[in-house]
Amino acid sequence: MLTRRIMQRSIILITIVLSLIFAVMPISIQVAAWRPEWPLLVVIYWIIALPHRVNIGYAAAVGLAVDILLGSTLGFHAAAYALVAYPAAQYYKRIRNFSLSQQALLVMVLVFLGRAIVYLFEHYLNNAPLMLHYFWPALSSAIFWPWVFLVLRKIRRSFQLR
Amino acid sequence: MSSHLFLQRVSLKTRLTLALLLAFLLIFADHRLGAMQPIRAFLNSVVSPVQYLAVMPEQALDNVISQVQSRRRIMRENTQLKEDNLLLQGQLQRFQFLVRENDRLRELLASDSREERLRMVAEVIAVDSDPFSHQVVVNKGTRHGVYIGQPVIDADGIVGQVADVGVTTARVILISDQSHAIPTRAELSGIRVIAQGVGDTAQLELMHVPHSTELQEGDVLFSSGLGGVFPEGYPVARIKRITRDESLPFAQVSAAPIANLDRIRMLLLLWDSSSETQPVRSEAELREQSQRPVEEQN
Repeated sequence: MLTRRIMQRSIILITIVLSLIFAVMPISIQVAAWRPEWPLLVVIYWIIALPHRVNIGYAAAVGLAVDILLGSTLGFHAAAYALVAYPAAQYYKRIRNFSLSQQALLVMVLVFLGRAIVYLFEHYLNNAPLMLHYFWPALSSAIFWPWVFLVLRKIRRSFQLR
Repeated sequence: MSSHLFLQRVSLKTRLTLALLLAFLLIFADHRLGAMQPIRAFLNSVVSPVQYLAVMPEQALDNVISQVQSRRRIMRENTQLKEDNLLLQGQLQRFQFLVRENDRLRELLASDSREERLRMVAEVIAVDSDPFSHQVVVNKGTRHGVYIGQPVIDADGIVGQVADVGVTTARVILISDQSHAIPTRAELSGIRVIAQGVGDTAQLELMHVPHSTELQEGDVLFSSGLGGVFPEGYPVARIKRITRDESLPFAQVSAAPIANLDRIRMLLLLWDSSSETQPVRSEAELREQSQRPVEEQN
């Protein structure tokens, strides 16, 4: 029973670590601006699927890891991820019944929101100029959402995570 | 299943408030107090496996490519490198002669002679996908003697300085980062100007340049060594455009960094011979070094 619980937790953790690796993996400059926000996608999925395991605290922790990896001021992404996790955790039952395309639309809004929060912090504390291409990943995240969802659901079902 | 129906023992609002409170505390501590430096070093070491894992596919691909590269191509590359090396060796002879002469002249003038600098090659293992900061992560850390504020160059010119160090990784802030500025001196006129990053790898802005300046488009800016971070005499940028708009208090001067900041791969870390931390080399590197002809001192 105990080992099973540990295994379940480690599988969630492994998917998150993988998403972090994807987030910092070097890719060519042309597509780098379009890189989907993998960690946020994975966190949103787990919040919708298993809200009693992954919740706002988890989201904030992943955001902190993103902060460390990207070298931004500690807490920017943590705050943004926590704020974005809130509506997902609040309405997880409703979101589960959405179709994939509806979910993708919602994910686009959530990723945009998360990026907007980080941008506001950067703007007011570090004088960052407005860069429109900073918000492109909202679109690419929405495009990749169905695959993220299906792959993670497959993982969740085959390991019987509850 | 029924236990999952009422899963919120702590309400979501409380969780959110707690998480945000913690995040704001972190932001305050990191941004306003700068109190996170030692903790950051630790955290960087913790996440360094992720960074090493993230470059593994690329390195594996590079490996495969170099494995299947044809013999002829490698031979060609080899001859090319030999030619380059010969050329550089020739220039080095002249350089050493000049160094000696410069030392003698400085002795005559009774000023300190310049020190030999120690160097170590570092490879870029991660480029930040965060567009608000221009930073790269290199594969050398405190274990190799890297310290915060250490100057970093590449084959063309100054790249940036070390901002954070982990045990096996270090984060280098590029001169194009919007929070970075570097004191420079123009090559010909000797005018001192500060080159400030603007968040664009192809551009630096020169600050507080009067309209009457003698700077010209095409002037090369060298590090002046005045800030105490960067050594003197390394190329930084070339002036691209000077706009003299009299309605503004200063002339608008933009310059292009000489190092190709958007495609850096191999970097050189520099050490003062008098600085506290010294480069720590692995045994293999030491052996390689001792086999090279010892450079003549003085």
